[in-house]
Order: sequence, then structure tokens, then C-alpha cells
Amino acid sequence: MTSSSDGADQSGDETPTAPSATDATGPMTRPGVAVRGVSKTFRAGRQTIPAIDGVDLDVGAGELVCIVGASGCGKSTLLNIIGGLEEPTAGSVTVGGDTVVGPGPDRGMVFQAYSLFPWKSVASNVGFGLELAGIPRAERNRRVTDLLSIVDLSAYADRKPKELSGGMRQRVAIARALAPEPDVLLLDEPFGALDAQTTRAMHDFLLTVWQRTTATVLMVTHDVAEAVYLAQRIYVMTPNPGRVAEIIEVPFGPARGPMTKRDPRFLDLVDEIEELLLSTGTSSR
Amino acid sequence: MRGPIPDGLRWAAVIAGIATIVGLWVLTSTVWASDGFAVPTIGATWAALVEMWEEGELWLDFTASLERVVIGYGISVVIGVTLGVLIGSMASVESFFEPQLGFLRYIPASALTPLFLIWLGIDEAPKIALIIVGTVFYNILMTADVARAVPSELINAAYTLGAGRLTVLRRVILPHSWPGIIDVARINLAAAWLMLVVAELLAAQEGLAFRIIRAQRFRRVDRMFALLLVIGLLGIAFDMALRHLRNRSARWAVD
Repeated sequence: MTSSSDGADQSGDETPTAPSATDATGPMTRPGVAVRGVSKTFRAGRQTIPAIDGVDLDVGAGELVCIVGASGCGKSTLLNIIGGLEEPTAGSVTVGGDTVVGPGPDRGMVFQAYSLFPWKSVASNVGFGLELAGIPRAERNRRVTDLLSIVDLSAYADRKPKELSGGMRQRVAIARALAPEPDVLLLDEPFGALDAQTTRAMHDFLLTVWQRTTATVLMVTHDVAEAVYLAQRIYVMTPNPGRVAEIIEVPFGPARGPMTKRDPRFLDLVDEIEELLLSTGTSSR
Repeated sequence: MRGPIPDGLRWAAVIAGIATIVGLWVLTSTVWASDGFAVPTIGATWAALVEMWEEGELWLDFTASLERVVIGYGISVVIGVTLGVLIGSMASVESFFEPQLGFLRYIPASALTPLFLIWLGIDEAPKIALIIVGTVFYNILMTADVARAVPSELINAAYTLGAGRLTVLRRVILPHSWPGIIDVARINLAAAWLMLVVAELLAAQEGLAFRIIRAQRFRRVDRMFALLLVIGLLGIAFDMALRHLRNRSARWAVD
């Protein structure tokens, strides 16, 4: 839950004071996610181990941003702090202008796997957040139907999660996280458990959903090519302790496709980031 | 080795298993019979059962034992599930109960019998208390394990969808634990019958186990066998009922 009201409106109505959100170069027109000087240490016996150290990060409203890094660089910890599931040792996070003090429906989260409620149907999974928000059944059903058509699972509304493939389950998880119309969608390696073909399809699916819903998306991944293909901006994190080593603007527009991956700049960027991860990943330990 | 087998083979194995037991029974009661090791034939056991039924005692014994188990074990399950779920979901509750449970669960419940007889008299109360004490720690600890096994992703997902702690307990931890809780109740039911026998051996005027002791006095091995058969079949009936309940009420957990 965040401290004050006035969650950024996701309904598409332009508020008179807000500058036009269609201005492509102005990602900060609405407040998105702002991470300021966030550090987190863990205690292991007598020792304190720094997991992340002094991270600053911004996601403008409507942006799709990725955090890449090897395992152990603290990227999931950072996402959990933004989601309110973990507390930072120092620093602060604001989402939609409100300081994060705990988990809440203004930040939808999707995890790597196993996060659907197995006893609930697809439709009740998607509608769970709306139910908790006290939205009446008729309105809830209407919104669940809309979301299921966005994620192309209308035919599976009454199925249980175990009847679905891994890719379909993650689509349900994304629809469920989007249902309460969050200020930001936080994705923690959402395609990490899927096979390569499904992952590719999910990339284009995520881009489509992002464009159709104008959602703000922050995604954590270890897959550099995935990050370059999806993100408008990439935060490269390195471990021991977890820090932002570099912020990289991706030079492609919001529309991506098979051509993107053949663009020489795509391959160069992937190489550049992978070298960055390799050089810093081994230096400190 | 643990792979699925065809239905035909499965049924053949079940029938062979039953036939083996019945075969051994028939052999020990006829061909291998000896004076010192008296085993009644199937016919004699059946006759003893009918005899007890007609005397009217069997029904009284049956209902008396059943009542003790249902009340005692019912209370044990309610306590076990409540405490177990809380212990398994909240570290503070776990720390609070850790020392008590660690101490109490190593005291054999049967060792408390004399104490219960002094405190609670010799009627139903000490018997029910014995069944509760003899099973409740298993129910608490095993239910706590079931609640602990709820994936943290599910709990975190609920929190990020706007759930509070009570909602997570009611809407995530309980439904996810439900089939496991039924299994815990099913497994520990055997211990409830064990405690029932201990209770009825000490002080009782009726009951299936009490009747077995009585039969010993008259060397009525046929009656003993009949009574053991009744207890065993009752156990199977409970087991099947609970399995059925689990499979019906938590179809998502049936593979």
C-alpha cells in the first residue's frame, strides 16, 4: 500500500493538468517508479552482506524498462523492494508519487512460476485482485472477460491452472497482475521457466499487451537479448554488491519484431552488455 | 519402478494381496493349526461375530468405541488444525509454542493415563482426553508442515493483489493446505484407535477393545478375531471416507 491517494489514472482520461502522454521524448510526464539510493544488507551470522548498494532507478509512466544481471546481483531483491515485499536498509521508493511502505495492488507482480492459485479457475485467478478491492460481481466479470481477451485466453476462463501450458499460465499471471490497473507491472524473470519457442512468443505477447494497455512495465531478467528486444531502457546490474553498472537507452522505437533481432545495432548492444556483465562479474570475487 | 501400471495389473495385484491374507488365514486355522497357537477358522470367526451381534453387545461396543474416537479425535483435529496452521504461517506463534511442543510430544500419552484417571474419574472423560493427548501433537506438527509448504510465491502474489494478513490466511494458506490437512487427519486416525484401545483396556464397561480383553478371559479367540476384524474394517471405512472427501473437495490437488 502506498501512503497517499490519487493513484495515477490508468483509465486513459487525460487530466487537464497532465502534459500529453503521447510525447515520445517525455517519459516523466506522469510519475512512474523512482528508486533513490536504495541499499539492502542481509545478515549471515555475524557478517552483514550487502545485497544491493545505492541503486537509483527511474521508470517513466508507460515505459518498458528491464534490469539485467547475473544471478546474485540483487536484481530480484530490488524488484521485491519496489513491490513492497522486502524493506530496504536505506533509500526510498516512490510509485505513482507515493512512497512504498508495503505490498499493494498499485504494483502488480508476476513471478517466475507457480504463482497462480491452483484451486481457482483462470477467471477467478484474474478476478482475485478485483474481488479484494470490493468490486461488484457484474463489473468484475466484465473486466475479467476483457482481460482474458487481451491475453487471448477467453476459451480457458473456467479451466484450472494445471490444465494450462507454462506460457498460458504466465499469461494468466500477467492478466491477474494487470486487473487492479496498477501504476506499474513488476515482472521477475517471468519467462525463465519456459522453453525457447514459448519465450519468443511471450516476448511479442508482452509487447502487444504493453502497447494495448499503456502499462508501465519493469522487468528483471538474466537474458540480455530478451532485455534488448523488449526494453526502451536497460539497467545493467553487477554483483558484490549489487550496483547499477550502466544505463543503456535502446535505440529502437516501441514497435519491435523479427527485423529488430537482425538489426546490427541489436547484436552490438547484446555483445556490449554481455561483455559488461562478464568483466564485472568476475573481478570482485 | 514407480511408474503407472495398467488397470488390469493393478486389480490383479489387489486381489492377489487379499487372496494371500485369506490363504494364510485358512492355512494357519486348518492345515497348520496346533494346540498352542489357536487360530479360528473363517467360519468360526463369522459365527462368533453373529453370536455377539445377536447378544446385542456388539452394537453397544461398536457405538461406544466409535463415539469415543469421533469426539476425542474430532477435538484433536480441531485443535491440531487451528494451532498447526497458525504455527506454520507465523514465526511468532511458532516460537511461542516451540518449547511446549518440544517437551510434550516426547511424553508417551499412555504414561499420562494414571494422571487422567485421578483427575477425570473413570468415565468417558479420561478416555477422550487420552485420545486427544495421544494424537494432537502429531496433528499440530504435521499440519504446521503442510501450512509451511504453501509456496511463498502464492502468498506474495496475494499480498501484491491487495490482500492483508488475515485474507492471506483465509484465502491462500487455508485452501492450499486443505487437502494436506485431510491427509494428516487420515494418517493420524490410526493413532486415535491405538489410544482408544489403551483407554478401554484400563477402565471400561463396554467398547470393542474392552470386549477383546473380556474374550481373553474365556479364551474366545474366535471372538477376538471377530472384534479385530470389526476394528480393521472400521479403519478402512474412515480412511476411504476421508480420501473421498479430499478428492471431492480439492479436485485441483488430485493428479
